[in-house]
Amino acid sequence: MAGAVSPLLKRPPLAPALTVPEGQPVCVSLAVGHQYSSLGTQPILCGSIPGLVPKQLRFCRNYVEIMPSVAEGVKIGIQECQHQFRGRRWNCTTINDNLAIFGPVLDKATRESAFVHAIASAGVAFAVTRSCAEGSATICGCDTRHKVPPGEGWKWGGCSEDVEFGSMVSREFADARENRPDARSAMNRHNNEAGRVSITDHMYLKCKCHGLSGSCEVKTCWWSQPDFRVIGDYMKDKYDSASEMVVEKHRESRGWVETLRPKYTFFKPPTDRDLVYYENSPNFCEPNPETGSFGTRDRVCNLTSHGIDGCDLLCCGRGHNTRTEKRKEKCHCIFHWCCYVSCQECVRVYDVHTCK
Amino acid sequence: MKMAGAIIENMSTKKLLIVGVILLLFQVFSFMVGGLIAPSPTTAVPYIATKCVDVVHHNQRKNKWFTPWGPNQCNKIRDFEEATAKRIEANNIVFAVHIPGPNKEMSAWFQFMLVILQFDIAFKMYNQIDDGAVVTIDVGLAYRDDSVSEWTEMAHSIEQRKLSCNFTTEKTIENEGRYYECDLLPFMEVGNVAHKYYLLNIRLPVNERKQVNIGIGEIKDIRLVGIHQNGGFTKVWFAMKTFLTPSILIIMIWYWRRITLMTRPPVLLEKMIFALGLSMTFINIPVEWFSVGFNWTWMLLFGDIRQGIFYAMLLSFWIIFCGEHLMDQTERNRFSVYWKQIGPIVFGSFCLFIFDMCERGVQLKNPFFSIWASEVGTELAMAFIIVAGICACLYFLFLCFMVYQVFRNISGKRSSLPAMTRARRLHYEGLIFRFKFLMLVTLACAAMTVIFFIISQVNEGHWHWGDYTVQVNSAFFTGIYGMWNLYVFALLFLYAPSHKQYGDGQSNGDQGANSGEDIQLTTTITHVDGPTEIYKMTGKESQE
Repeated sequence: MAGAVSPLLKRPPLAPALTVPEGQPVCVSLAVGHQYSSLGTQPILCGSIPGLVPKQLRFCRNYVEIMPSVAEGVKIGIQECQHQFRGRRWNCTTINDNLAIFGPVLDKATRESAFVHAIASAGVAFAVTRSCAEGSATICGCDTRHKVPPGEGWKWGGCSEDVEFGSMVSREFADARENRPDARSAMNRHNNEAGRVSITDHMYLKCKCHGLSGSCEVKTCWWSQPDFRVIGDYMKDKYDSASEMVVEKHRESRGWVETLRPKYTFFKPPTDRDLVYYENSPNFCEPNPETGSFGTRDRVCNLTSHGIDGCDLLCCGRGHNTRTEKRKEKCHCIFHWCCYVSCQECVRVYDVHTCK
Repeated sequence: MKMAGAIIENMSTKKLLIVGVILLLFQVFSFMVGGLIAPSPTTAVPYIATKCVDVVHHNQRKNKWFTPWGPNQCNKIRDFEEATAKRIEANNIVFAVHIPGPNKEMSAWFQFMLVILQFDIAFKMYNQIDDGAVVTIDVGLAYRDDSVSEWTEMAHSIEQRKLSCNFTTEKTIENEGRYYECDLLPFMEVGNVAHKYYLLNIRLPVNERKQVNIGIGEIKDIRLVGIHQNGGFTKVWFAMKTFLTPSILIIMIWYWRRITLMTRPPVLLEKMIFALGLSMTFINIPVEWFSVGFNWTWMLLFGDIRQGIFYAMLLSFWIIFCGEHLMDQTERNRFSVYWKQIGPIVFGSFCLFIFDMCERGVQLKNPFFSIWASEVGTELAMAFIIVAGICACLYFLFLCFMVYQVFRNISGKRSSLPAMTRARRLHYEGLIFRFKFLMLVTLACAAMTVIFFIISQVNEGHWHWGDYTVQVNSAFFTGIYGMWNLYVFALLFLYAPSHKQYGDGQSNGDQGANSGEDIQLTTTITHVDGPTEIYKMTGKESQE
């Protein structure tokens, strides 16, 4: 979602608009409210999201009913990012009170930017596909590109899979602003696509037999989306194995064009599925407003772990403080499938370690 | 006994080839109709249920329907955290699914609609799915024919489904929030699609005292998949049936006329071929046309029965065909002789019939019924299917043994061939060749069916071939259906009594010497397996 993320994450006002949690504006209320009633307000709505390039604005107006899903997609992407990077020095922090939600981290072409763009792009494709199944979007699958009138196409041979539609939306919207000939655009385009490909790659086929007496004489199959956590795990792997690139300049008829080339020729060149970056990440140990690092001071660390979430590594060798905390907790709970848990309250004592 | 006078034996190889080529052309045509014109046979549409809130709990639930989108849509919640915050109880949450999606409508051409249920259940360390957990579902189905009128209830039921979910990763705190992998559950089956819009309202009521819906984990979403036949496929299929019915009917009338023209009564094999033609016509008759106009939900069951009768008839025919070609000195020509071989077919078909009645028969009353949902039902269904499977195995053992016997007898006859006169030998060879030819055709048809079945199972459904998209599954259905029709057609045509036999069989002596020899041969060989004729045959051989 680089394209979208760029306006969302860098351009001030759109960021809260599409990132949802506490920043409530337009899209959020739209997401919760009545999709149909918002149709009338369509021009106002899209126009009120600042930071959209003309192509995105046009897209927004054409597909206004799926804009809540786009916002939802960015949200689940960020949530997944925070889950995957919990306990690491950079933990996908978002700042609610700031308009650029990730801070300046994404200004640099680092692994972290690559991951955020890919996961957000995947999130949009995922959420749009999902909204098609929920019926909150009316234009899915049965795209109007075919010659036959839409109703007839559905009656004759059904509609195409919604997954393609989800990817299409993500591509149209996210890549809309990544059309500059510079290296950063190229990187964002690549990583956005990697995110979307991860969605289509992880679709799995489910089948049902329903022939004579339920035999497999007739079998119908359909594609299912995996749990988004699976996508998150996969993207995290891709983050760990991301390819470092170098920028090359070419002289072409339209002017100088920057392209990316693998830095190390002895590694396998990155495929469509790999993440690419060309700037090194800051170490995120100390707060640095320029790099967007928040530092790890006061972060909770795990004393027993030798991994990155352990107090040694997370605190960058500065050491940690320990305090004991009494917490009231729910225990001996009986769960019902929804919305109701009957619990007792227990008090437990915890040692909490925080970085100096 | 009837074989000798059949057209297949008296037709020249050239004519036989011409017939073969014509049939082959029709065969290719039937594959092409499915592959190029028809869309894929069925469509699966995934739905995710919208979580509606029943604000005031309705006791008079009958008139209250919750629509997920469109005008008068219900109050929704996005997830259950929201529900917890708002203190909404499980009993007040209604999962609503509108079939089909926005801007679409269902059509009678869809023929049937079956819906599959799948739960998205997140793993929670302290709220895991119990072993053998059962979900109790309170479900209602309603329909309407325009987008503004009230919903009319079609069915309402309280169903139980056994959850069979497993968690593939380690059960640790770290992995909380990942989803279980749950099996698909059969949910609903409707035998015709007479209305434009359908609405499903699902509740999962909780009753702690009765242990209803306790220990079913943290359900995040309910997914449904609606499967229906594609309208385009239905049209192509109907067109094919409408074309095939008169074709088989005409050849059947022609065949029966030939048999009645003969002086002797029809023999068992002739009757069997006729019965096969009848059962084929029974399948072919496009009564489904009525399903477009009338609200007949039993069409699915009726289709199963018709198909079952044809299969039983085809299997019986093979047994009798082999039996009547055994060429040993036993009197057959009676149905009762074959009870041992026909028995398993009848019994097996009967088992499947009972099973089908238990599943699709009950579904006429309650579309949410599934025999697989209950413990007893599953065992019963398995029992029926296993018995039917055993019957099938038994049948194939018998059939293989009979085919083996026929070939053994044929090779026995072969060894005595060199001792015969030239004309006699040629005739025997021709007879054996043609018998084997038919065996080959049958085997080829069976093999084709199996191969195409496997291809359609393995393949994802369509092949791209330049600009054309070939629908493999549709090609399979139309092609195989056409093939068995052609098979029956060919049988009716090639095994009809030949003019030559009953014309010349009266031995009016104005024929040449050659044909006289031919008649003698036909009569002897005709009666090779009848006891009275064996005397003649042995007499003839001793003369030679």
